[in-house]
Amino acid sequence: MLALIYFSILSVIAVGSALCVLLSRHPLYGALSLVVSMVSLAGIYGLLGSPFVGVVQIMVYAGAIMMLLTIVIMVLNGARDSKTPMFDRVSLFVFPSVILLALLLGFALISTPLAFSPETWRGSVALTSATLFNTDANGPGYFLLFEAIGLLLLSAMIAAVLLAKKNLGSKESEETKEVQ
Amino acid sequence: MMEIIQSKHWVEWLITISKFAFAFVPVLFILLLIPLERRGAGFIQDRQGPNRSYFKIPYFGRIRFFGWVQDACDGIKLFFKEVYAPSGVNKLIFAIAPAIPFAIVLISPCVIPWFAPMIFTMGDQVIRISGQTVDTEVGVLLLFGLSSLSAYGAVLAGWASKSKYSLLGGLRASAMTISYEVCLGLSLMGMLLLVGSFRIDAIIAWQEANVWGIVAQPVAFFCFLIAMIAETGRAPFDVAEGEPELVAGFHTEYGAMQFGLFYMGEYSHIGINSILVACLFLGGYSVPFVTTETIQANIGVSLAVLCGVFVIAILAFLHLLYRYSRWYKTSAASNKAVILREYSLYKILGWAAIVVLSAGAVVSALFFHPEFTIIDGQAVYGIGAALGTALIHILVLLAKAVFFCWIWIWVRWTLPRFRYDHVMNLGWKVILNIALVNLVVTAIIAKILGGR
Repeated sequence: MLALIYFSILSVIAVGSALCVLLSRHPLYGALSLVVSMVSLAGIYGLLGSPFVGVVQIMVYAGAIMMLLTIVIMVLNGARDSKTPMFDRVSLFVFPSVILLALLLGFALISTPLAFSPETWRGSVALTSATLFNTDANGPGYFLLFEAIGLLLLSAMIAAVLLAKKNLGSKESEETKEVQ
Repeated sequence: MMEIIQSKHWVEWLITISKFAFAFVPVLFILLLIPLERRGAGFIQDRQGPNRSYFKIPYFGRIRFFGWVQDACDGIKLFFKEVYAPSGVNKLIFAIAPAIPFAIVLISPCVIPWFAPMIFTMGDQVIRISGQTVDTEVGVLLLFGLSSLSAYGAVLAGWASKSKYSLLGGLRASAMTISYEVCLGLSLMGMLLLVGSFRIDAIIAWQEANVWGIVAQPVAFFCFLIAMIAETGRAPFDVAEGEPELVAGFHTEYGAMQFGLFYMGEYSHIGINSILVACLFLGGYSVPFVTTETIQANIGVSLAVLCGVFVIAILAFLHLLYRYSRWYKTSAASNKAVILREYSLYKILGWAAIVVLSAGAVVSALFFHPEFTIIDGQAVYGIGAALGTALIHILVLLAKAVFFCWIWIWVRWTLPRFRYDHVMNLGWKVILNIALVNLVVTAIIAKILGGR
């Protein structure tokens, strides 16, 4: 009963702020609505018995990633982009796909029986670590993927740094090196 | 709905609901921190600090309360100033931004355990109450997540002000927060590895059973402390405000209570961070060398010892007052009659408190012997013993936190401030690597010794 009340409040906030992301004219308002949406999603994860996933959502997405996105909007084009048209040619492809996805999800939700109890633990700390770092030979082997993703992210980061310093080794990039 | 209400005893409901009052502890820390900061700065710089404001009471004359009156005046001034926004600001975000850090500070204390889990008998029922307001298994992570959200206040304020200084301050604040958040989490990992849980009460229980975190993880403690000080954005890490470069950083355009909210947010952030450091590395609510069971078994004597500690503190304070009085009597200060009058009030209050506390100590040591029942091979006492133990625990935790508050002030007024790139170098090239090495070494040693 209580879980249902909390869920209704959180889902209204999540969906409403997601709509704000789509409808807001200013990119910064859109980013901030996305933060609100992510925080309320974290609350819904908590209700689903996954407090760990919810907190990680707050720390990584709402905290770090959205912070960087906000900074990028502020520094690069916050003032100019405020007159972005709401619909353009890309919308022709986006709208049908969104409607299709909604239909698909609705069909999946209707066809599967909803057996939900808020007391069941789904993503607690112990459960997550037991699944992710299960090193049994017959286990799911997620830890290999985990390591692979770590390597992928590292190489992506190095590539980004290299791209950002286009003229690495040239005279200009030597001069812009930070003062020690 | 009735089932939920009837599922707990009314005493349990009462204590559970009153635990929400702990949300205001960091805010109350402001009352302590602002006088401590101003008079502490005065002490370190060999001057008096603000102590001239007073209010008059009939016999004793001008009462200044060691500068507290001055701080109250400043607070009242901030409250009654006109709320003002420069033209050209983004009105909505400009108004929302100062509220964000302050709101986060009100939510943060929910995962701090203020006392050991209470177990007591009420009638024929056994009642268990956990020490934190929200009993969740992701305790520390939730705190870190919330504190990473609180940087939005500075960033949005910087952007909405539409001023170059503010924008630079906001950007610096976010860069600081992101980089030192990483150091913070990583330096804590060694401790979490030893304990094997994110719950702060589990960390404190481990420290009670083994050794304090500062002994088990000294390197991590210093990394954590530096990262914490950097995260609150105070000197020597005040690059976000940067008075010599950025006027006042992200709150340049703010005035009145909107500025006051940033100010209060910063100070309550210090309060919550001090409590967190005390919980993670200084044993939290646990009394050194005494277990919770011992306190509960000798609750009367324990309360007497608590009163004794207070009496000693007041005696030290009175000693100071008497020395000052003696000095003033022989000095040529023109206002010495007024000051001596004022001191006589403090002396009367101090001696009255000593009499009351001594009487309380004697009474509790002689007459407070609660009965217990054995449940599951463990002695369970009544509600009086449980509340007394909780009181001792809360006071011990607050004493440790106040010590760290003083460290914050001490660092601010003794060290010169960093330049921006030095701060970034320190964060990414020094502290992060030390914390990483510490984590690896801890993991290896823990594997060799414990085998978990």
